[in-house]
Amino acid sequence: MRMVNLRASYNAKRLALALAVILVLGFLLVPGQLQSIFQQMGSPVGWALSWPLQAVAGIHDRIADLWGRFVALQGVEEENRQLRRELDLLKEQNGQLQEASAATERLASLLEFKKQALPTLVAAQVIGRDTGNWYKTIIINKGSSDGLQPDHGVITPAGVVGRIVKTTPSTAVVLLVTDPNNAIAGLIQRTRDEGIVEGTTQGLASLKYIPLLSSARSGDRVVTSGLVGGFPRGLPIGTITKIDKEEEALFQSAELSPEVDPNRVEEVLVIQSSAVSTEGAQIGAPKRKP
Amino acid sequence: MKALIYIALIVGLVPIQAVLLPHISLWGVKPDLGFVVVCLIGLIGGELDGLLMGLVLGWAMSLFSAQDPFSAAMMKGAVGFMAGLAGRQVVYLSPIVLVMGLLLVSFLVGLVTPFALKLSVEQDLWWAVWTVVLPQACLDAVIGGAVYWLMWSRLNIEQWVSEYRV
Repeated sequence: MRMVNLRASYNAKRLALALAVILVLGFLLVPGQLQSIFQQMGSPVGWALSWPLQAVAGIHDRIADLWGRFVALQGVEEENRQLRRELDLLKEQNGQLQEASAATERLASLLEFKKQALPTLVAAQVIGRDTGNWYKTIIINKGSSDGLQPDHGVITPAGVVGRIVKTTPSTAVVLLVTDPNNAIAGLIQRTRDEGIVEGTTQGLASLKYIPLLSSARSGDRVVTSGLVGGFPRGLPIGTITKIDKEEEALFQSAELSPEVDPNRVEEVLVIQSSAVSTEGAQIGAPKRKP
Repeated sequence: MKALIYIALIVGLVPIQAVLLPHISLWGVKPDLGFVVVCLIGLIGGELDGLLMGLVLGWAMSLFSAQDPFSAAMMKGAVGFMAGLAGRQVVYLSPIVLVMGLLLVSFLVGLVTPFALKLSVEQDLWWAVWTVVLPQACLDAVIGGAVYWLMWSRLNIEQWVSEYRV
């Protein structure tokens, strides 16, 4: 049995209409400065909410640890064999990289880029993911009280993860390299052509604005160019899997397979050094005089 | 008592949404528990409760997302307010009617979201509908219906609603 009774009074309807109009107008007309105040007001609330968040994340990690130790051990032998093969390969690569590293260090000191090459790194743990479905982000357990700020770059030893877009005193939200709203200055390591790395809706990344005459091809590695954003030059972003070259287009673009799988990342490093210039500083944004 | 329940809901929902739900997402999409809770509070508690809870919950959840806090708060507040208006018109609400209502409202809110959030060029409406809006609306409706059915079958919800709103 379903009954519907239209019993709202005329006054209630008028009040409802007025509130709805205020909401819509407020939503459309509120200026950006007020929105940043709104965000700053969230600091104490964010701090308070980060406690249950970290508690649940801790419980979740313990359960995941138990699962990993006792249930998910099937297939470990095969994985172990594979890892040994990879280790041999990596040892060989490590030797080559040490040589390259020594050369890089000499050049870096020569060009006084040492600060940029060795930024201050803050280790953090991933404790959650975006509360909505529209952005690809991770939440880490370090925030503004640890010196983290929006635009700081986030990496793992394997490569770029993303950049911080929001902080509370004890947590930070990292927009992943695979999010279409992200943009990181990239460089094709072999050809030295620059472009912008953006995420795709398929959860991968793409390098846009590659010059038409570039000889980029599948298998080329893309690294950070260090021109803008919170990353020094040379951090791996991904590998080109396909080149898109449309007729009459001004630029080429390339599909990338990201170096880091953002869905599996558990620990990250935040590049905190002031030596790494942010976009505003890089383009010479005017600074207020004291 | 009511305020305590609301605070507990805000404190509890944020970690559940951020830590636990990503593991049970379907097609890479997770339900929006905040939306479901705000709808139910609006329906049961009225316009004002729905509006205020929506504003606060939307804002609190946006602190742990890339979404800007103002649009998040406004959208959830508007949903709570509308749910309150709808609840005032209906004397008896069955879980099936609620599921259909949640499906429709979640779908409509989802359609507005891509414009409100100023997403990238790649994230057009067609992409949004098929990959986020529709799956999320289905999940929201199923979860909201299940929660309401539990309250409806285990608790004397009609008496509760009539006492709660006075």
